[in-house]
Amino acid sequence: MLNAAVRDALASAVGARNVLSDPVQLRSYECDGLTGFRQIPALVVLPLDTESVAAAVRVCHEHGVPFVARGAGTGLSGGAMPVADGVVISLQRLRQVLEVDPVDRRAVVQPGVTNLDITKAAAPQGLYYAPDPSSQQVCTIGGNVAENSGGAHCLKYGFTTNHVLSMTVVLPDGEVVTLGGDTGDQLGPDLRGVFIGSEGTLGIVCEITVRLLRVPETVRTLLADFPSVRAAGEVVSDIVAAGIVPAAVEMMDNLAIQAAEKAVGAGYTLDTPAALVVELDGPAAECGSQFEQVKAICDRHGCTRLHIAGDAGERAKIWMGRKAAFAAVGRISPDYIVQDGVVPRTRLAEVLGRIEEMGQAAGLRVANVFHAGDGNLHPLVLFDEDAGELERAEELSKDIAELCVELGGSLSGEHGIGTDKACSMPRMFGVDDLATMDRVRSAFDPGKLCNPGKLLPTPRLCGERPGRYRPHPLEEAGVIERL
Amino acid sequence: MTATMLAPTDLRGAHEALADTEGTVQLQGAGTAAGWAGAALPTDTVLDTTRMTGVLAYNPSDMTVAVRAGTPLSELQAELAANGQRVAFDAARVARGATVGGLVATADSGPLALAYGSLRDLVIGATVVLADGTVARTGGHVIKNVAGYDLAKLLHGSYGGFALLAEVVLRLHPVPASARTVSLECPLDVGAERAALVLGSALEPVCLEWAEGTLLARLEGTPDGTEARARELAGLIGGSVLTEDDADAAWARHAELTGAAVVRVGCRPSRLAGLIGAPGGPAVAGLGTGIGTVGLPFAEVNGMHDAVTAIGGTSVTHQRPPSGVRAWGRMPSAIRVLRALKNELDPHGRLSPGRFESWFGEFGNREENP
Repeated sequence: MLNAAVRDALASAVGARNVLSDPVQLRSYECDGLTGFRQIPALVVLPLDTESVAAAVRVCHEHGVPFVARGAGTGLSGGAMPVADGVVISLQRLRQVLEVDPVDRRAVVQPGVTNLDITKAAAPQGLYYAPDPSSQQVCTIGGNVAENSGGAHCLKYGFTTNHVLSMTVVLPDGEVVTLGGDTGDQLGPDLRGVFIGSEGTLGIVCEITVRLLRVPETVRTLLADFPSVRAAGEVVSDIVAAGIVPAAVEMMDNLAIQAAEKAVGAGYTLDTPAALVVELDGPAAECGSQFEQVKAICDRHGCTRLHIAGDAGERAKIWMGRKAAFAAVGRISPDYIVQDGVVPRTRLAEVLGRIEEMGQAAGLRVANVFHAGDGNLHPLVLFDEDAGELERAEELSKDIAELCVELGGSLSGEHGIGTDKACSMPRMFGVDDLATMDRVRSAFDPGKLCNPGKLLPTPRLCGERPGRYRPHPLEEAGVIERL
Repeated sequence: MTATMLAPTDLRGAHEALADTEGTVQLQGAGTAAGWAGAALPTDTVLDTTRMTGVLAYNPSDMTVAVRAGTPLSELQAELAANGQRVAFDAARVARGATVGGLVATADSGPLALAYGSLRDLVIGATVVLADGTVARTGGHVIKNVAGYDLAKLLHGSYGGFALLAEVVLRLHPVPASARTVSLECPLDVGAERAALVLGSALEPVCLEWAEGTLLARLEGTPDGTEARARELAGLIGGSVLTEDDADAAWARHAELTGAAVVRVGCRPSRLAGLIGAPGGPAVAGLGTGIGTVGLPFAEVNGMHDAVTAIGGTSVTHQRPPSGVRAWGRMPSAIRVLRALKNELDPHGRLSPGRFESWFGEFGNREENP
């Protein structure tokens, strides 16, 4: 429990009206989008500006109280789960767009601004903010910085780290610093890049300068059905081999299509084994000729139906089906877990085959929705908690993420490690790798008070013995070695 | 003091070179940026990375490549070009044999940064060796990956002060089917005005630079597409489309001017022309990126640092100035974090002392008076 002195100090740091301590109110902060991990915090503070964030952090630092920053709470790895007897610092009230500069094509925003609101603020100038996680209507830019969020279009446009120029950050001891600068150049090492994607463990971002891009001249989108997931995968390979960099390439398998179609009726074919959404953007002429190439590649691989978005409304409908897929599986299963692993794109067919086998062995269905262009899978493990399937489902989901590592990929493409996968980190990284990351964390936060227990495995979280390290495939092949 | 020279050929050798030695170590690649930033102080050992070369893994279909960090980028590009691929990066000193590791450590970038960023945006994984010999991996072999801290970012711009970069995994892009350059002879202020027109259009240039009297815009894409866009761009700025040979010559001149510069600066793009136009020395201005280089007498370098700092920009020397002239414009705001990182990763101050002048004061000073 927090003592009265800490409570008083926090109240004077952020203003007594901006402190929540009522148990009912605290409960709404007990988890993020990964609802399986819950912890009611001791206190929630809702500062109104950078100075109050810094003041609150200084109080925590002085009294040794752990704290967790929180945006919209849409994260899917338990990264914003509170700490017992700790404080949640919510950035929800820092939600101003401070500047849109059409000449230098950038915007300065507070962390509680939603991803989509940046684009809305920039739209009158013909500009937009490129990273577009599927939760973009509600997720905040502060949370995007913490998770290095991507989105459907990151194949061509990159991730949050490629679009943030500079940030005002409150360090874990309360000092306010600037990371990054006016250009890609920085003075010395790229601390901006280290901070982005650090999952709230290195400090709290309070102001962000993002790059804005000019809205492309043309956008062309198609939805194509294929007789098999393998055929759809071959289309993706051929598009890449043709030297085309699509804005997005998304794949859905039959189970995911059925769920999405039930939910939003976006016009997907109910009985097709696989569907691809391919989007190209850029200068009109080039976009047009490459779109013809993509159509020809689809035909070559036995495309059974090709639907081209005739206007913005039809394009939005195609995307609605894709973006609804996560929530939509609720219509075909009482419960589900969203997984987020990455494999080298050329191993997509292999990993999908293995996932199917693993699902059968576990007696559970797995729906697949994924960013096919960059090998980022989102398998959805379907289960019924009332039938006692939760544990089996969690095990299968974890095994799928670890399979991705075994195939030369990653535990997470965009949802982060958080609480959820910290104990799987030893499958991907060796003892020295993790120890080096811990040194970096100690440099920012020697007291280990800033979002503790996330990202890196701890004995408390994972048991005394973290999972055995499995050699990387390149190590097994003798290409690399671990010293 | 005569330094011991070590030139490992692979990760194991690099690990041994640091684990089995004591004292200070200068990390050194091809030496193409030896004159940049602060002067390297004399060290007990020089660790030369130029024998750590070669591709470790390359699967063209995945569009990623893993290389030893001492590999000259120009050699890697030649190998990738056979598969119609490239690292979308064109810093001027690549042609002079700069290594992949050296280009990362010095945070270099060229005109293509407008479209593709710098190497920080293209490195997706790395293996580093810390001062105590610890070998640590970060990232991986997939483009999309958020597992763990990104140590490669920490080494970007670290000038060898945090760790040795031993192996690097890069994401690749297709070599465009066609590239065309539009040019306009004009002074810098006119160049800046015309560049703003281009940036406000839908023409999507991948490079937009003013190189001492010439505005250059490069377009990449399909042959038909670049031809049409180049004509449109030429009309927009009142310039002309260059032949392939003339374009090559114009960009070679750009690289030459960049290579001869004394200071590299960065600021909001709209302020760059005012900043680097003032001294009147040969200048190169990335009018879309906000990054420029300028040649000027050493006596004017401190003044340039002050002018950049006053508008919140970045600056660093690219030629070794005489004493009394600062190599860096200012210390970064988070200097305390940098010092804490140095202390965690290299607690005895072994690696590459001097390149950040007084930033890591206690380390630099100790090495200065061994």
